[in-house]
Amino acid sequence: MDYTQELTKALAELKRITGVSMDVNADSPEAAEQAVAQIRCLCTAYKEKYNKTDFLQGLMTGGIPAYDITERAARLHITPDDRRVLFLLECRHIDETVTEILKNMFPAQTKTYLVPVAENTLALLRPLRSGETEADSRRIARTIVDTLSTEALIRVQLSYSFVITNLTELPEAFRETSLALKVGKLFYSEQTVFPYNELGIGRLIYQLPVSLCENFLKEIFGSDVPESFDDETLGTINRFFQNNLNIAETSRQLHMHRNTLIYRLEQIEKRTGLDVRLFEDAMTFKIAIMVLNYLQSERNH
Amino acid sequence: MASLSLEGIQKIYPNGFHAVKDFNLDIEDKEFIIFVGPSGCGKSTTLRMIAGLEDISGGTLKIDGKVMNDVEPKDRDIAMVFQNYALYPHMTVYDNMAFGLKLRKVPKDEIDKKVREAARILDLEKLLDRKPKALSGGQRQRVAMGRAIVRNPKVFLMDEPLSNLDAKLRVQMRIEISKLHENLGATIIYVTHDQTEAMTLGTRIVVMKDGVVQQVDTPQNLYNTPCNLFVAGFIGSPQMNFMDAVCKVNGQDVTLTVGEHVLKVPASKKKALIDGGYDGKTVVLGIRPEDVHDSQAFISNSPDSVITSTIKVYELLGAEVFLYFDVEGTQMTARVNPRTTLRTGDKAVFALDMEKIHVFDKETELTITN
Repeated sequence: MDYTQELTKALAELKRITGVSMDVNADSPEAAEQAVAQIRCLCTAYKEKYNKTDFLQGLMTGGIPAYDITERAARLHITPDDRRVLFLLECRHIDETVTEILKNMFPAQTKTYLVPVAENTLALLRPLRSGETEADSRRIARTIVDTLSTEALIRVQLSYSFVITNLTELPEAFRETSLALKVGKLFYSEQTVFPYNELGIGRLIYQLPVSLCENFLKEIFGSDVPESFDDETLGTINRFFQNNLNIAETSRQLHMHRNTLIYRLEQIEKRTGLDVRLFEDAMTFKIAIMVLNYLQSERNH
Repeated sequence: MASLSLEGIQKIYPNGFHAVKDFNLDIEDKEFIIFVGPSGCGKSTTLRMIAGLEDISGGTLKIDGKVMNDVEPKDRDIAMVFQNYALYPHMTVYDNMAFGLKLRKVPKDEIDKKVREAARILDLEKLLDRKPKALSGGQRQRVAMGRAIVRNPKVFLMDEPLSNLDAKLRVQMRIEISKLHENLGATIIYVTHDQTEAMTLGTRIVVMKDGVVQQVDTPQNLYNTPCNLFVAGFIGSPQMNFMDAVCKVNGQDVTLTVGEHVLKVPASKKKALIDGGYDGKTVVLGIRPEDVHDSQAFISNSPDSVITSTIKVYELLGAEVFLYFDVEGTQMTARVNPRTTLRTGDKAVFALDMEKIHVFDKETELTITN
């Protein structure tokens, strides 16, 4: 390997990120190799200490101790006590197009930070403007989703956090948005925006241990726990629930005779022992279906 | 531009939610199709499936005869305009319109040509150097449209693009979009929950409810011959009046009885009631507010369609007056001439234009007479 060339590259990188110029005289390939390794370590250390993205990544994942947050934030010129909302967006692949669109939606002067989380996930920490409240977060979330759909033609799902008043709350905000994204995708997959505070019963089920869920399903269905229900059965029941257990309205919407609908509901009762025409059984069935979906997604993972 | 075909399109989400059911529609080249319906009816989901932003669970989508189900959105040659659009705040109008093309690495001179052409169509030529904050709401909306136009797509997909504008601006933009359709000769699919927007813009309207297409027709036909109670109630403002009525067949005479009011069904409508075996059954009688008359001349000529009530609310809208009253416990509205002498609290006599009535099956809610 040509270490002279590598050394030149490493020095250029050091200058780019720190502004420090350095001359290194390496009179042997071994010395050059050692110098390259040391300069790279310097770059990494500098990035860890002075790079906003690394700092925010570390902060979100709880990798920075609380006592260090304010000082490191000040060094990076990040005001610690601005009111901010964390948005977490997921699409098939976060590529250059996605980041370019977001950078232009929230240019530097807005003090919005884009923080890569995974190959398909990106966090966006945005300060609230004067007069903006938590209620504006939904509008902003929708705008992000719609703009990315329009410009990049990609499906985006996005969750957002409560308003944080200090950077020390960022780890909790990240936990909440991550949870909202997971729960939203699992239980409310028809939606694209998942606010942290609208997860409903999905939040509860998602946090239950798998063994507890399995016991619950055994209690409901006995030893014959169905893997899942077919689309037609689920569609019929969902529509029945959407119509507040109203047989006439459901049969009308499904374009089926009411007796056909009653027959189908009776078949479900035969199979599960739950008469979904009764509120209590309907509620149990609804929760059981959500638990089934949850377990299935756990197994898939 | 392009033609589209949707055959048996379905959307079932992983959580079991069946958002769109057996959606069938052929869209001709250069048509302006409107998907209209209440919130959650599946209209946006259908549009997103056409765009490729949602997977299609069942059925076939074709654009210009080519199956598109598994084609990436960027390769479908479509452009979208959404309700919540964002203009890039630090860019000029020109750069905002050019941005999407730059991302696609389109050559500079081609970008320039397309942006200037779109600006000409949208009358934005003088604003190209302005930043978004120096634009009015309508101008911003036109820039958002411009971003779609520069792509020169086969199909434009618009999802409630005017919903965030105030009422006055919406009317203005409606006219602009209509002109745009004429100028571009484009195939446009437009989603709205606003029936006025639907009626004024569309060459054909698809009325949806609960993921199911209710009726596909021209605005005029939807208004005049709704296929069911939902369409009849959804299209028209104020909405159609509905009353439960008992159908009685006496030889060749058919009457509809609403409480104490007996209304004679005209020849053009009665055959369907007789043939359908509705004698003695309760049906739903529908009549539009403009077909409820308070003029003495009309009442004198229509002795078999008279109803009486007390005016509960009088609303003057300038060119017309809305009178609200109850008939057998059902609220009704009459749209009458502003010179009417009727006021709140007055005993009133109205006559229904029985040639304009709509009769629906109470159980299936389908039309009997249209």
